[in-house]
Amino acid sequence: MKLLTLLPLTLLPLLTPAHHTSNWAVLVSTSRFWFNYRHLANVLSLYRTVKRLGIPDSQIILMLPDDMACNPRNAFPGTVYNNADRALDLYGDNIEVDYRGYEVTVENFIRLLTDRLGEDVPRGKRLGSDAGSNVLVYMTGHGGNEFLKFQDSEEIGSWDLADAFEQMWEKKRYNEMLFMIDTCQANTLYKHFYSPNIIATGSSEIDQSSYSHHADNDVGVAVIDRWTYYILDFLESQVTSPSSKLTLGNLFDSYDESKIHSKPGLRWDLFPGGEEKGRERLVMDFFGNVQGVEVEGGNETQWREEMRRLEEIITRARARGNVSEGWKSEPPAEQAVVKVERAGKKGVEGAAKVEAGEAWGQRLLGAGALLGCALLWGGVSWLEASR
Amino acid sequence: MKTFLFPLLLSLLLSCLVLADPDYNERLDLQPLTPASLLASFNFRSSAPLISYERQHFKYIPRSLGQILQHAKTRELHLRFTTGRWDDESWGARPWGGAKEGGTGVELWAWVEADSDAGSFARWVTLNNALSGLFCASLNFIDSTRTTRPRMTFEPSSIGFNASNEDLYLLHGTLPREVVCTENLTPFLKLLPCKGKAGIASLLDGHKLFDASWQSMAIDVRSVCPSDGSECSIEMEQTVDMVLDIERSKRPRDNPIPRPIPVEGLRCDESKSYLQEGACYPSDVSNGQSWTIAEIFGRPIQGSCLAEDSQGSPTDSVYIHVPNEREMYIYAGTETKHPSGTSRSFTLPKSEPFEMVLSHIGPQSFNNHSIPPLYASRSFTGHGQERGGVQTLLTNPSTTSPISFIYFETLPWFMKPYLHTLTAHLSSSSTPNPHLIKETFYRPALDRRRGTQLELLITIPAASTVILTYDFDKAILRYTEYPPDANRGFDVAPAVIRLLPPFGDAPEQGSQAPVYIRTSSLLLPLPTPDFSMPYNVIILTSTVMALAFGMIFNLLVRRFVGSDEVEGWDAAALKGRVRGRLMALRSRFMKGGKEKKL
Repeated sequence: MKLLTLLPLTLLPLLTPAHHTSNWAVLVSTSRFWFNYRHLANVLSLYRTVKRLGIPDSQIILMLPDDMACNPRNAFPGTVYNNADRALDLYGDNIEVDYRGYEVTVENFIRLLTDRLGEDVPRGKRLGSDAGSNVLVYMTGHGGNEFLKFQDSEEIGSWDLADAFEQMWEKKRYNEMLFMIDTCQANTLYKHFYSPNIIATGSSEIDQSSYSHHADNDVGVAVIDRWTYYILDFLESQVTSPSSKLTLGNLFDSYDESKIHSKPGLRWDLFPGGEEKGRERLVMDFFGNVQGVEVEGGNETQWREEMRRLEEIITRARARGNVSEGWKSEPPAEQAVVKVERAGKKGVEGAAKVEAGEAWGQRLLGAGALLGCALLWGGVSWLEASR
Repeated sequence: MKTFLFPLLLSLLLSCLVLADPDYNERLDLQPLTPASLLASFNFRSSAPLISYERQHFKYIPRSLGQILQHAKTRELHLRFTTGRWDDESWGARPWGGAKEGGTGVELWAWVEADSDAGSFARWVTLNNALSGLFCASLNFIDSTRTTRPRMTFEPSSIGFNASNEDLYLLHGTLPREVVCTENLTPFLKLLPCKGKAGIASLLDGHKLFDASWQSMAIDVRSVCPSDGSECSIEMEQTVDMVLDIERSKRPRDNPIPRPIPVEGLRCDESKSYLQEGACYPSDVSNGQSWTIAEIFGRPIQGSCLAEDSQGSPTDSVYIHVPNEREMYIYAGTETKHPSGTSRSFTLPKSEPFEMVLSHIGPQSFNNHSIPPLYASRSFTGHGQERGGVQTLLTNPSTTSPISFIYFETLPWFMKPYLHTLTAHLSSSSTPNPHLIKETFYRPALDRRRGTQLELLITIPAASTVILTYDFDKAILRYTEYPPDANRGFDVAPAVIRLLPPFGDAPEQGSQAPVYIRTSSLLLPLPTPDFSMPYNVIILTSTVMALAFGMIFNLLVRRFVGSDEVEGWDAAALKGRVRGRLMALRSRFMKGGKEKKL
């Protein structure tokens, strides 16, 4: 009798469709300068949403390339708003920005995703996801056909992103991924993805611009982009509690081209089961948080699992036809700043005292050297002349 | 009330001695500086026996910071987040003698335990990286080019180290460009025992703090081993100083933009001679106006936080430095007027909100501020993109005594000073006076590896101004070394000035505490390339190459003919040619037929 009551409980974890154990969010704005206020507002809106739905700060990587809240141009110090009604202060009293200012670079972003970071980099600046993590990647900024600008000075290409995600998959850094991008020609950014378990969505097709939604006259600039605005509209009004059962299908069906003013895109083919299965995934699988515990099985099954994965990766690479024999992986070029310094030198390495008295000695030495040269020259020419 | 600084410091020291509970103590000092501005100085001290700290038993010393310090073998730490400029012309001397403030941006210095220079630098990098994660600041950008090892400017504030001082290394780094914002305040508050939810820390709100005219957040960790042989302890002090513009702080948060006042609401300055119908010179309403804590900080103090001494009786945590004549009302809590007649203190209620109303006061009855011991201002001279100069004006306001100080500057490697041009002369004469600079410590820059470090020991005679100048060259950076906003310019860290006792006219009792002054940071414009230039070059080169290649190719493979040599293209000729060809064919067949017949 006891066994019978326990049976459903033991089966329960097997029955849940998404058996991920943690949630991570990588939220990236890539635009500097005050007039790109809306891109920071986009990202901060998403930050507030995932925090509201339960992902803790330690599992959110927030990248803000510029400071809008304490910008001297901001008439509302310490705040960022995403709506002209200014009902919600996105910056709030409790915010943790992991990468900010000049730290938001393509290199840092790819290092973060692939965990190729120096050993000194603190935990808060690392993406600590594993094979059981569902990762939400949201990016916004100015982009074009297959690229996204970072800070107006460099770009990330769609192949860079695709390869970074593939490396994440190979390193077992995600279980499923939802990739969202709001930029001009956004749908071109996920064109080249080839790693499994990714659902991708973007704001606009090739040759289409993504537009801002509206401006706040007191802030003085546009405060949010259209696509993000309507996604937030859905999340705020319908996904009101962490127990929400709304699916990604519901979210993507809410796209209204007449409101967004561009054609949002979706990509399902990388997801096992395609669109049909992908649409069934809950919004909360990516925007909310689960705290699952994974009990490690015996060593043998783990080893077999690893081999199976490796085989799978090789098969997929063969199928793509770009595997080359004898290809060697480069070791990560970590910033070994420490080792550049000469080691083993004793004594304080600091400023030296400047002695004014020494200058006379140096002058004397210089004059002596000149005199010596002159004498030598004179002597030799005298010998020449006397010959 | 001539100087409020030293009495403040002294009373603080005394209060710490008198109170038997050394573990945690917090205190807020409110000091109107001018009729329109208010200095709010928050101080949180916590301490723990060194032995329990080393065994990782944390109570009031936060674990997150304590473990970082232990991991990086840091004995003493000073971290500063500052924005704005202290206006010493109108606000007078700095709080804490300038010892609790940093230069604009982020400043960090620490004594690190190591067996060699390289070892200390490695620990320093570890410390910076760990702190960057904790405080959400780009402290990891303090690399070898921004790190210096000052010789004279900083002295450890720890007392009685039993370890030999040889294996302690002082490292100093600044980030003048770093923005200080709410994400730095959040972890700062989380280090406090009440996390900013209760006690005076509940007033610390990013919306007000970063709207202040000047603000500085400081964290100091030091160890104290009393000379009487009692237990060593580790002390941590967190300080927030802010100068609030009263009128600005009182604006509602949802509508902070000042709108024009309707004519009926205008208050005119009656003293102006041109006052007449239809003309109004608005009077300065902000002068000495009344305020409450909730108006200024956005909320009242939310109860008290561990404000009890060892006997369990409540201690004073809020001090206000106004004359006793000025009327005040408080809700909850108790008031104590101090015998000096210029300050009073309050105990906070345990869990009720504490509110205080300060009555209106006319500008005429306002105290004059204290005179700072030294005025310093630094600026760039010269023009052009190749070279420039730096000029620092240092004024000793004391009419009786000379003043000695250490002037410490770190310059980025792309700003290359010429030491032989370093001169100091009195403003009264134009010839350099070699006796003003007593000692010079200098460490030249190495391109991309370290910056310049300059420390000068200067003495200024009474009531005179010294002008310190030097010239420098601007280096040209590589294309990829420019930041994304290179056209804004490059920030040069503020100079740090440490006054040596005796401090001018200041009273003798303050001679123990160090006095610091920092200049503002400088913005150095460097020659920046047009960043689209490489693309222009590529496009232009490709065009030239295409043109050249095309022409040569044409010359090689084409045959050139004159226009008259070209055959015409008329229908008759074509017809003729076709007919001719047909005729030839026919004649050939005919001929062939004949031959067959034969």
